[in-house]
Amino acid sequence: MTSVIKIFLVVVFFVFSGTILIAQNSFEEQFNLAKKLYDQENYFDAVTEFKRLLYFSDKGVYNFESNFLIGLSYKNGNKFSDALQYFTLSDLSSTTSDEAFESRLEIIKINILRRTTERAFVLLDSLQNTAKFSNRIDEINYWRGWAYIFSDDWDKASATFSKIQNENQLVVFCDSIKSDFYNPQLAKYLSILPGAGQFYTGEYVSGFISIGWNVLWGYLTINAFIEDRVLDGVLIGSLLWWRFYSGNIQNAEKFALEKNLEITNSALRYLQNHFNGKKP
Amino acid sequence: MRKIFVITFLIQLLAFPQSTSFDFHSPQNIKLFADHLFCESDYLRAIEEYALIDGQFVNDTIDFKIMLSYSNLGLFKLSNEVFKRINNGSIIYPDSYLLSMKNELVIKSTPLEYSILSSFNLSQQKSFNRLVSVSTLYGEKPVVTKNDFLSVFSAEDHDIISHLYDYKFDPPYKSPTLAGIFSAIIPGSGKMYVGEWGDGITGLLVTGLFAFLAYDNFKADHTARAWLFTGVGAFFYAGNIYGSIASAQIFNAKIDFEFSNGLKVFLENKNYFLPEYDFCN
Repeated sequence: MTSVIKIFLVVVFFVFSGTILIAQNSFEEQFNLAKKLYDQENYFDAVTEFKRLLYFSDKGVYNFESNFLIGLSYKNGNKFSDALQYFTLSDLSSTTSDEAFESRLEIIKINILRRTTERAFVLLDSLQNTAKFSNRIDEINYWRGWAYIFSDDWDKASATFSKIQNENQLVVFCDSIKSDFYNPQLAKYLSILPGAGQFYTGEYVSGFISIGWNVLWGYLTINAFIEDRVLDGVLIGSLLWWRFYSGNIQNAEKFALEKNLEITNSALRYLQNHFNGKKP
Repeated sequence: MRKIFVITFLIQLLAFPQSTSFDFHSPQNIKLFADHLFCESDYLRAIEEYALIDGQFVNDTIDFKIMLSYSNLGLFKLSNEVFKRINNGSIIYPDSYLLSMKNELVIKSTPLEYSILSSFNLSQQKSFNRLVSVSTLYGEKPVVTKNDFLSVFSAEDHDIISHLYDYKFDPPYKSPTLAGIFSAIIPGSGKMYVGEWGDGITGLLVTGLFAFLAYDNFKADHTARAWLFTGVGAFFYAGNIYGSIASAQIFNAKIDFEFSNGLKVFLENKNYFLPEYDFCN
């Protein structure tokens, strides 16, 4: 072989090698570009570039990561339906049980955030019953606890978190919220004595107003009977006194429920803004 | 040595077609990707991609897809801006024209004043006539008789269109003045006239009760108590008159809302009588 041919072959070899290197990199570069946009929290453009990669890439190398990161981008933009679609796709394109687990966990978190907690419980049960995820029971319990929080069932949330080692913070938090709640039944029964239920829920003005109305109509009713004006007594008693008395009972129960809702909302706000652990 | 070179060269040659360098941002690939996004109903991204190749393809279909995308995103004014770019000799022009009519109807909610195009096919003519006819429901007075109005629409839509027509041009309003007068004569009757029977009966009973209690206490010489009941009774009586007038006004506002909402939902379900476009199969 002459040296000219040798040089030619060496040049061709390097040209092809270089081309292949570039070709391998063009998809990888696209992935890196999309990932960089995601890391910069530029979620809209990240989704575009991941979708571009998925559309042109027919080898499926980036399918899981691209779908998963599209799902996270949509989730960060509060587009939960779109996020669900892409987490389902990332689950379908997962190649390891860890990838499948992470995808399903994200679907569960979306259901928790959307307060479709019944669906979250079904998916959590399904994860728990899958043998290959038996070593991740703590994580399953952790998100089950969160699902209970969003279902406003702080008792079960506390009980579920207590099954996890080193998860004392959320157990204590759930217990404290639980103890802050007012008992609507107690508020109702206390109101047999007008105003007492309102005082129990801290609605003092409403309590005094309730006492005032009941004293007024009670006095007028009793007075009418004492003065032998039976019809007056029956009418005032049945149509006015009874209306304010029963209203006082309903009102106390309503206050207890409203206060409990306020407590739940402030607890969720606290978790959103000040809790440092993993959140949905 | 020569064999090694030849084998290496052949391996490279085999690998090459499977892994050629790929240009994601060539105009052709951007168009392909934009079409894909459009078919995925990801309209905002599709518009952005089409904008990247603006002017690089002589293709009115792209402009029409941008128009459709804007319209589907609820950006009707922008959609009609794109319509201005479409050549009136283009094959896609009649469809763009219809889409621009729909956008105009949504933006202005007034009767459409568009002339029919000679290039319309039969289906487009139907869409045009239906859009123009239905837009008259946004006017103050009927333009044609009810039968002529209905004749433009398909038989399956007659019931709902007829209902909407009646709601618009012969609405079952209640007179607030009449409601007030009724309640002034018989407490609660104004509310009953508006259809709020429960409130009406309650109004009648409560006002009647206080009137009786006032009368009974005056009769028994309990003047202070009698004036108390008179005051409370007068308060309920006046409140009932005011409440009846307000109820009639709310009733009428509800009729207007039901009409505009019903028409909107109906038109959205019918896609504003536009023909089906299929760019994805």
